[in-house]
Amino acid sequence: MNEQLLQVDDLVKHFPGQTSGETIHAVNGVSLSLRPGETMGLVGESGSGKTTIGRCIVRLLRPSTGKILFKGRDISQLSEKEIRPLRGKVQIVFQDPYRALNPRMRVGSLINEMLRLHTSLDAAGRRKRTLEIAEQVRLNADLLSRFPNELSGGQLQRVCIARALAPEPELIVLDEPTSSLDLSVRAGILDLLRDLQQATGVAMLFISHDLETLNLVCDHLVVLYLGSVMESGPADKVFSNPGHPYTQALLSAQLPADPEKARHRHILEGEVPGPVNLPSGCPFQPRCPLAIDECGTAMPDRIQVGENHHAACIRIRDGSNMLRFE
Amino acid sequence: MSLLKVDNLHTHFVTRDLKDELRVAKALNGVSFALEQGEILGLVGETGAGKSLTAMSIMGLLSPPARVVEGSVRFKETELINLPVGDLDQLRGQEITMIVQSPVSSLDPLKRIGRQLIRMQQVHRAITTAEARKRAIEMLRIVGIPNPERRIRAWPHELSGGMAQRVLIAMALINEPSLIIADEPTTGLDVTVQAQILDLLLDLVSERSMSAIVITHDLGIVAHYCGRMAVMFAGRIVEEGPTRDVFKNPSHPYTQALISSAPSHAGSRQRASAAGPPPNLYNLPEGCHYRDRCPSARDICATQPHPVMVSAGHQAACHFVAETSSQEPVGS
Amino acid sequence: MTTASRTAPKPIGMRLLSNSRGLTRRSPTFAAGLIIVGFFAFLSFFASWVAPFNPIQVFPDSVLTAPGGQFFLGTDGNGMDVFSRVIHGSRFAFSIAIPSVVLMIAIGVPLGLITGYRGGMLDEILLRILDVMRSFPAIILALAVVAATGQTLLNVIIVLGLVEAPIFARVVRAEVLTLRSSGFVESAVAAGNSTRRVIFVHIMPNAISGATAQIALRMAWAVRASATLAFLGIGIQAPAPEWGAMIRQGAEFMISGQWWIALFPGIALVCIVLGFNLLGDGLHDLLDPKRKPTGK
Repeated sequence: MNEQLLQVDDLVKHFPGQTSGETIHAVNGVSLSLRPGETMGLVGESGSGKTTIGRCIVRLLRPSTGKILFKGRDISQLSEKEIRPLRGKVQIVFQDPYRALNPRMRVGSLINEMLRLHTSLDAAGRRKRTLEIAEQVRLNADLLSRFPNELSGGQLQRVCIARALAPEPELIVLDEPTSSLDLSVRAGILDLLRDLQQATGVAMLFISHDLETLNLVCDHLVVLYLGSVMESGPADKVFSNPGHPYTQALLSAQLPADPEKARHRHILEGEVPGPVNLPSGCPFQPRCPLAIDECGTAMPDRIQVGENHHAACIRIRDGSNMLRFE
Repeated sequence: MSLLKVDNLHTHFVTRDLKDELRVAKALNGVSFALEQGEILGLVGETGAGKSLTAMSIMGLLSPPARVVEGSVRFKETELINLPVGDLDQLRGQEITMIVQSPVSSLDPLKRIGRQLIRMQQVHRAITTAEARKRAIEMLRIVGIPNPERRIRAWPHELSGGMAQRVLIAMALINEPSLIIADEPTTGLDVTVQAQILDLLLDLVSERSMSAIVITHDLGIVAHYCGRMAVMFAGRIVEEGPTRDVFKNPSHPYTQALISSAPSHAGSRQRASAAGPPPNLYNLPEGCHYRDRCPSARDICATQPHPVMVSAGHQAACHFVAETSSQEPVGS
Repeated sequence: MTTASRTAPKPIGMRLLSNSRGLTRRSPTFAAGLIIVGFFAFLSFFASWVAPFNPIQVFPDSVLTAPGGQFFLGTDGNGMDVFSRVIHGSRFAFSIAIPSVVLMIAIGVPLGLITGYRGGMLDEILLRILDVMRSFPAIILALAVVAATGQTLLNVIIVLGLVEAPIFARVVRAEVLTLRSSGFVESAVAAGNSTRRVIFVHIMPNAISGATAQIALRMAWAVRASATLAFLGIGIQAPAPEWGAMIRQGAEFMISGQWWIALFPGIALVCIVLGFNLLGDGLHDLLDPKRKPTGK
């Protein structure tokens, strides 16, 4: 059964800019695929397009061009009405749980609503199932009668996860699910997500800027920069053997919480440019210490650097794609 | 003599609720630490632990309903608490400076950055505009802003996040202070930019033999940039010591839980949970504030624990230091 | 883990009392408005018992009597007791204010919700219509329509309701526009809610605080408007004890010195309009978004 659960082909999403004539090139030809039960991480800094990709996949945005195949069916240009029946299958958890929930609805009703929309359970059945799901996400049942502003960030995010689980989806997109939570709470949420993934076999697409987090929970990793894929491959391989200079720099900028772990730093110059005036050719080329003239002429092809592991850098061919570290 | 000595600092928020009853939030409950010349101290803790408030209390930047109700802050030989505003103004910006999380809100949007840099100098010493301008350009160059002669005329809104933070660093260092307090200096910046800013800031600090307090919730920053660290919880410092020692041998249950919940320690067997409801500052438990969340809490915890020495310069405020620190160090 | 302790529910009387004390503290304006409007509501309910006489009973021997004695506020040109008429007049205030405001809400709120959410052509059209309506003074518009369509109570109610509905549409639309981009609307869509549910179940409860504050103010307007119409000779007419009509009649007698006929209904009008305005302002204070939504 080789069918991909999700296949994104050459996704492009542009937005009109602030002034007329300006376009924001958020996503510029991104392809990825996810099998049932797989977990994939989308990592990138600001302007990488990762959030936009997530929203396109759950069709909160309509792609400009490109295909999004969910179980073989192209959902990229379907109308809102046509998408609605599919929404139970593809769910999303947002970064800030306080913004993501109706402040006037009780938390239990918010979970209940998902069951009402996507299952045929009666009221009693829904009550029961709500309690089961609450237990599954390790949420105290007492909290179900409270309003969102009465819960802590960690508790509320569990509610959001519960809502995402309720319709028994096949894919959950998580957009920075722990970024706005306190440090001490993050680990609990990540553990929960990992356990849920193993228990239910749901596929997960994690969007984050934090490589350390993604390493814990993802099988597969995709590195984005200014709307293009720089590297993709099995998470452990990308970590241990990054092919693309950007990935290498990103990894070296991480700060592990252990003073004994030596850091091999390569500090990149400059900052991520805005997505309005894209550099020509490889988007990373203005900041890349290994860039040569050819890098500015065309977007590099994906080159294989390992099993199922690709990086888009022309310098791989002559083996000069490795950054020097201090 | 320490550069900065904070002793038993208590800061409260006093308000009246809808029923007109007095409500007191005890945000800082006896914070004490010392900072030596040339030291970089990392102040770490979750939201609400009191880290930023400690900085504000030291700098005299509290506004009602927050008030320092007890304690002392000695900078060199001067007592800062209740110092007349005129004297405090002379110290701030000159001897002690601060940089904060969102640089955009610290820069006057209506003045070009050159003017702000020049003014920063002129407020504290007699210096001609021309001279101040020269120093400002030099400072911008030092913090890594390309084309400083041109950029000095930029407006704050024209700067990116990383640039703005560099400008703030320039402003904080231009008067050559003895102490700089950096409150979450890189939160919100891109990862690759964070690395740049931290390296820049801390290289400059050590070059000039300055002291720094780095306030953050990111253990990674503390691990790699701070020689000493102090862990805060509910307005108290629960553990402090040389960073290496604290990470190797965390002796307070909260520190242990915090370190073990960092992603890089995911492999460790002992994954204590640091999570729990945030302490209610209006109604803190008697004795150790951590007892409601502590897995090892016992009756004796109803009395306040005093700092117990774990090793040279390393202490933790827990009744069971001897026991807990002899547990397997986390991460092995 | 600390959980909120559940205390036994207090008896209703105690709850109302403590709630009202809290209410009064939070908004004395609201409390004041409530007392005034409540007083008139009481009058309109119990008019028949409180008023000493039948409002349209004629006492031909006591025409134009000054206040005092049997006729507490005097009698008017037809020999009807002013006091009883003023009391009964409060019924008109409510029987016009309430239905017309209900109509305003029924038209204005859904209009604001739908066009605010949908945007596009529909929104543009609505905005133009609202602009046109705003360029007419509402009373003149109401005057013209009622005069043309017939001077019945029902017509007055309908016309007032239509003329002021745009205010509700505008207020609600503004809030919907802010909410449209807020996270929970996105969540609701991503959850699979139909557009109807997104608008009415999720957005509406969060978008009507402005509209709620308008209710009392529109009631004040409706009372004033119908009194104005009656004063101008449109809508309710004598012998019905409507305050506007009474003032109309009383105006003629001012010059000859019978000041009580126009004054007392005038005072009543001012008071009830004041009451509604205070109520509306107070409600706005209470619903200030800086306060937490109901949860405690």
